[in-house]
Amino acid sequence: MSEGSTETQPQSPTEALCHDPNHTPRWGMTIDVNRCVGCQTCTIACKHWNSTLPDIQWRRVIDIEQGEYPNVQRQFLVVGCQHCEEPPCVPVCPTGATKQRADGLVTMDYDVCIGCGYCAVSCPYQARTIAHDIHGYYDGHDLTVQEEAVFDKDRLGVAQKCTFCVDRVDDGLAQGLTPGIDEAATPACSAACIAQAIKFGDYKDPNSEVSKLTNDSQFFQMHEELGTNPQIKYLYTTPAVPGREGETAVVANAVSEEEMADPVNPLVGKRQTFWDWRAAMNWCFGGLASGAAFLAWVLYLAADLPAPALAWFNFGAGALMCVGLFFVFLKIGRKMRFWRAITRFQTSWMTRELYVVPIFGAGVLAGLFTHHAVAFAVAGIAALAFLFCQAMILFKARGIPNWRVPLMPWMIIATGLLEGAGLICAAGAVTIWVILGGEAGNLLLLAATVGGIQWAAAAGIVLALVNAVLWHLYRTTAKSRGIPPLSRNVLNGVSLPLHLIGHVLVILGFAVGLFAPALMGFLVGGLAAIAGGFLWKFTAIVRASYQQGFAMPMVPGRGSGSRAAPPRLEGFAGRPAEMQAAE
Amino acid sequence: MAKNGKNGPQTESGDDIKKVPFYCYQCVAGPDLAKVTVRNGVAERLEANFDIKEEHPGGGRLCVKAFGLIQKTYNPNRVSQPMKRTNPKKGRDEDPGFVPISWEEAFQIVGEKFREVRAKGLVNENGHPRLASSTGGGGTPVQYMGTFPAFMGAWGPIDQGFGAGQGVKCYHSEHLYGELWHRAFIVAPDTPYVNFILNCGANTEAQSGVVGIWREANARARGAKRIHVEPHMSITAATSAEWVPIKPKTDAAFLFALIHRIIVERGWEEVCDVPFLKHMSNSPYLIGPNGYFMRNPDGQPLIWDAADGRAKPIDAEITDPAMEGTYKVSGYELGPDNHRWEHEDIDVKPSFQLLLEHMAQYTPEWAEAESEVPADTIRRVADEYIAHACVGETIEIEGQTLPFRPVAILLGKSVNNGWGGYHTCWARTMLAVLMGALEVPGGTLGTAVKLVRPAASRVGSVIPGEDGFMRYQFNATSSNAWNREPHIRNAYKTLVPLVSDSPWSAALGPAHLPWLFQKHQPNNWPRHDPPDIWMCYRTNPSISSWNAPEVANRLAEFPFIIAFTYTMDETNHFADVLLPESTDLESTQLIRLGGTKFQENFWHHEGWTIRAKAIDPVGDTMDMSDIITRFAQEAGILDEYIEKINDGAAGSRLAREDKYDYSLPMGEPPVSEQVWDNMCKAVSWDMTQGKEVHDLDWFREHGYMLKDFNQIDWYIHPAMKAKGLRYELPYQERLTRHGRELAVRLSEIGVDWWETQLREYEFMPTYESFPKIWTDYVKDFNREPEEYPFWALTARSFQYAWGANVGLPLINEMAENIAGHKGVVINKGRARELGIEEDDQVVIESVTGRTEGPAVLREGIRPDTVLMIGQFDHWKTPYAKDLNRPSLNSVTDISLKLTDSTGSGSDITCVKIYKASERHLQKPLAVDELGSAKDTGIADISFAQAAE
Repeated sequence: MSEGSTETQPQSPTEALCHDPNHTPRWGMTIDVNRCVGCQTCTIACKHWNSTLPDIQWRRVIDIEQGEYPNVQRQFLVVGCQHCEEPPCVPVCPTGATKQRADGLVTMDYDVCIGCGYCAVSCPYQARTIAHDIHGYYDGHDLTVQEEAVFDKDRLGVAQKCTFCVDRVDDGLAQGLTPGIDEAATPACSAACIAQAIKFGDYKDPNSEVSKLTNDSQFFQMHEELGTNPQIKYLYTTPAVPGREGETAVVANAVSEEEMADPVNPLVGKRQTFWDWRAAMNWCFGGLASGAAFLAWVLYLAADLPAPALAWFNFGAGALMCVGLFFVFLKIGRKMRFWRAITRFQTSWMTRELYVVPIFGAGVLAGLFTHHAVAFAVAGIAALAFLFCQAMILFKARGIPNWRVPLMPWMIIATGLLEGAGLICAAGAVTIWVILGGEAGNLLLLAATVGGIQWAAAAGIVLALVNAVLWHLYRTTAKSRGIPPLSRNVLNGVSLPLHLIGHVLVILGFAVGLFAPALMGFLVGGLAAIAGGFLWKFTAIVRASYQQGFAMPMVPGRGSGSRAAPPRLEGFAGRPAEMQAAE
Repeated sequence: MAKNGKNGPQTESGDDIKKVPFYCYQCVAGPDLAKVTVRNGVAERLEANFDIKEEHPGGGRLCVKAFGLIQKTYNPNRVSQPMKRTNPKKGRDEDPGFVPISWEEAFQIVGEKFREVRAKGLVNENGHPRLASSTGGGGTPVQYMGTFPAFMGAWGPIDQGFGAGQGVKCYHSEHLYGELWHRAFIVAPDTPYVNFILNCGANTEAQSGVVGIWREANARARGAKRIHVEPHMSITAATSAEWVPIKPKTDAAFLFALIHRIIVERGWEEVCDVPFLKHMSNSPYLIGPNGYFMRNPDGQPLIWDAADGRAKPIDAEITDPAMEGTYKVSGYELGPDNHRWEHEDIDVKPSFQLLLEHMAQYTPEWAEAESEVPADTIRRVADEYIAHACVGETIEIEGQTLPFRPVAILLGKSVNNGWGGYHTCWARTMLAVLMGALEVPGGTLGTAVKLVRPAASRVGSVIPGEDGFMRYQFNATSSNAWNREPHIRNAYKTLVPLVSDSPWSAALGPAHLPWLFQKHQPNNWPRHDPPDIWMCYRTNPSISSWNAPEVANRLAEFPFIIAFTYTMDETNHFADVLLPESTDLESTQLIRLGGTKFQENFWHHEGWTIRAKAIDPVGDTMDMSDIITRFAQEAGILDEYIEKINDGAAGSRLAREDKYDYSLPMGEPPVSEQVWDNMCKAVSWDMTQGKEVHDLDWFREHGYMLKDFNQIDWYIHPAMKAKGLRYELPYQERLTRHGRELAVRLSEIGVDWWETQLREYEFMPTYESFPKIWTDYVKDFNREPEEYPFWALTARSFQYAWGANVGLPLINEMAENIAGHKGVVINKGRARELGIEEDDQVVIESVTGRTEGPAVLREGIRPDTVLMIGQFDHWKTPYAKDLNRPSLNSVTDISLKLTDSTGSGSDITCVKIYKASERHLQKPLAVDELGSAKDTGIADISFAQAAE
């Protein structure tokens, strides 16, 4: 007679090692694609244990179809945080809220996170979300008493993701349980999986089930090429059994360009919404301001930009930079914690950007009051540093293919400088026009270099050419750089207007300004440079920013038509080996 | 430490926290055992009851639906107190005007109606019960309805034959023929041993629950191969080694050709399990010229013993039963109505010889033309099946040596119900018989019995009957015993001999016909009035029936409906009284666990498990058993009701003579807890022969109680061998005799509208082009089949099936991760030819109905097929009504033409599809255009015309 009870079993090597104080585990998962049936029990078990809000799924199973009728394959792929050995989300975090523990778990500290979303755009696995307000499952009704009891308000406005149920793991260990063996100490998805597709365990323990499975079977790691070394390993084939040898072959996934351009395809990344127009404004205003301030300093050094002009110009640039930063402030989820973003100087370019701001500010203010060359130098160098930080922030966001390409930092810097040149020219032209009027201003320009404005326009022409070349390279190498079709479509759509406004019109305007000479040319060229910069940055950051998406490079050999498993006819030796062994 | 520790349940001092065991039995694959964590009276989280993980064949885990139960409990759309209707007019567009009432008032209204009906007489002038009751599919409501069966038993005649989407819409042919042939109300592979599964459309991964998915995944991982044959790539096809897209409703052709390949092309003597065929089937039975068994003077069928060249009765010592050839034999044939044909030295053949002759026509090339599965594929599949069958091998199970035949064949819904169901079931079971792979390890098994007795034991039901086969109680078709006046409205005893007469038979009869007959009086048939009272429990026929909109119209004609209610829905919209029951976590019940049952539940244990009340009811709801006890009081049948409980109607007997007596005292209305307390003691006594007696509190603490169940009892083969019985295959002598007798009976009373069905009674099934039945149906509406070029099908949703979870946003969120849930699935290339893109709102139109939803473009579906997963098109159920999902039930029809001889139809119809934006070009529905049949609604034109 048996009944509900638990019996104590003798300790296995895995249990013993797990509780050895000198052993640091490396927690990870195997997910057997051949076992998974897409039932979503893991999805709901995760939601249930972790009390995630409606439509937030730390763990889920996507339904993938490949091929064309009748040669079709359909697979189910469990996705979520991969607890990478080299997690791109950790170094970018400006607050340290996202951390990696010694046992490999990538965790979140909801009390520290400011909800900037940098980790979310840095994750190539679409594992992170930010919820800004609590709403229950039943629209138009209050939260149910259970929702009231379990929803965690600390998780609002901050990044959240799968923790491998770190609480179950830690509490379980504290109770002497073994993760991966005892359900209570195992992530909810794995403990719930009714196909035994999701296994959890210690990759540093050679006897753990995950170690054995990955030693015995072939597996892939998603987006391995990004160097993240994900700790979810996907098993994709069946063990060899008598008569089955021919069938362990797998069909490589050849996802067509058309399939990758289909927004319905679950492999295709969605457009990120973490950084919207408000975030883009930081790159627009910040890039413009920093580029302008740096270039103005150069003109001060190299040409005849007067110190008072530089001082006030820097002051204006600083104001623009503040506008950009204010937009970012509007975007973050936990505004009152914004100061925490200064705590990860050692790794995060976002923190570094923030450090540059007061230095720049100090330089600007000091310059304003002292007109001292050192103050100007501080402001100028800080401006360039700010621009560099901006470039690196996008480049380090590994989750967005069109941001992380190596051209991106160069484009940000080149554009910032071009915009800066544009602002100098436009501001100079307006200033001259206001002081002297249009005709006198034109005559003045004919007579002399004025505050370096001509040098700025000349630099602008060069920078416009450089920007045009960079953009052309960016666009034409996009496919080979892994920028997805949906993203490329958006980029291509903006290309002609960008070339016309941001490059041709700039060159024409500046050329007219220089050679007519005409204030209007400086003004038009300058504004076009700013408009062009804003146009592509806004496009790249907001509209073309499709996430990495998912990948299934290997699949079990099954499906229909040419994708079906091969026949097994002769030579089938009867029952599987383990069945014979059991007899 | 990060605050991620807050993910799971937090403990704060002073909290009252308890974990309460319960089960989820929302689908037939249950129960899943769980525990719910209740903090300060609020159910916060639930988890699998891992205490049972070693004994449970699915590791003790929970299905996705179970995780929705807390949300289900706290659904703000629940009807939280009894209500009564104030608008006497009923109709879809009528506001029922429900107003809240007290339970006392509700019981008075119901009681008055009960007493009125009992005073008038339990049956009406037509001989039909005045009280009718319908419950949801698969017997799942029984796991929640507490003592309701005792009330139904105590009441007297009740019409339980109004279909609500179960029975005839289920694996109907499999249920009936499976039970006849091998005690297989449901068929399953012996998954732990099987190496090759041929699956014609059974959506195993969506329907077989935790245990099924667990076992199948293990089988896949160890290298078992499954070939899936279905018009669309279901999740089961997706997880199979191969998907073979077949033309809808032609599976019988495919299976017939497999038989042809095996017995004709490969040679039966070369590849089949010859001893099994000779000694465990009726293959050697000699068949007379009229098609019946040749019998000796004692009535025993004869077999030709080639060893000494003479015919012998089946119970004689027969060395070498002849399978082929023609023999001269004397004896007699027993035909319908005891007609005897005496024969002297007449040429007779073994039934296997007739099988060979019969199957000769069904070549792979013929099947390719019919099913569009290439002949090469058919041959390869047959050859793989043979290669895997291991004919001649044995295996040891619990000390007994049994044949080892690791091949199985499964059939899915729509394949094994309605026209063609007989043919596919017969062919499938024959394929198992040919390899000796029926009811042996690795092979094709039954899981449970529902029509034969004893209900609790498949092996125990292997009882010798006529002609060397297992006993089977057909409904009588003889002149004196035939149920001439149908005792309930669906007339299962009258029309369907095979459905037998168990407590399940009413629901498995032609349960859709009452809706049809309520509108159209058939010729020479008793008048058909709605029941005076109809009770509905956990069912929604206005959504889940064929031609659901018309069924809703019929419901509007019911004079008095008692609806046990969760939320408002499309059926209780027509109710007179709404009685909200306490649901899963709010009430208590004890049920059986383990043994073997559907779908793949094969246990090494059996016992009992509890659903213990975990929280106080969320609203003013009541435990079902307490509602029912009050019903019994109001109806004046309290003692009869208590007696039924004591006799086991609520689960198990409360007293056994000389053993135990936990019976409830007469005259005292029992409260729910008392019933289950006594039940706990009775079942624990019974399991341990009195060594351990446990009460309700014990079960509340422990959750379940188990004892061993022998694996050898997964297979009926040992019992068949021990009793010298044979499987009644391939030859259907008994069944055909009943069919022919039925033909005589019906003709005697002038019923001519069942003639097509009667033609289905054949000794061995002859293939007919089944798709043509549906294209001809289009023609009946004066439309050309080309106008409706798509086959519309449905498929089970793992996330939704059975659970009445359409009102749960959480379940919807899960389901939407799986393609196809949000609309109608259509082949991508074909859709684009029609100018249809993903998410375009489209209209799906048949000759009788329309439904609408967004298009879902997929490659894994035949270009001539569209698919609507689940059953939707809600217009009342909160949340569900806003989902904009199409439903096959809105475009199928209820019709005699679409009803087979077992009384079932099929989830298939011919449709056209166009964008909703082209609605202005829409013509009237064919049914509305058809003049005389304009009001047919639930239309069978030939039937409608005959009635005129």
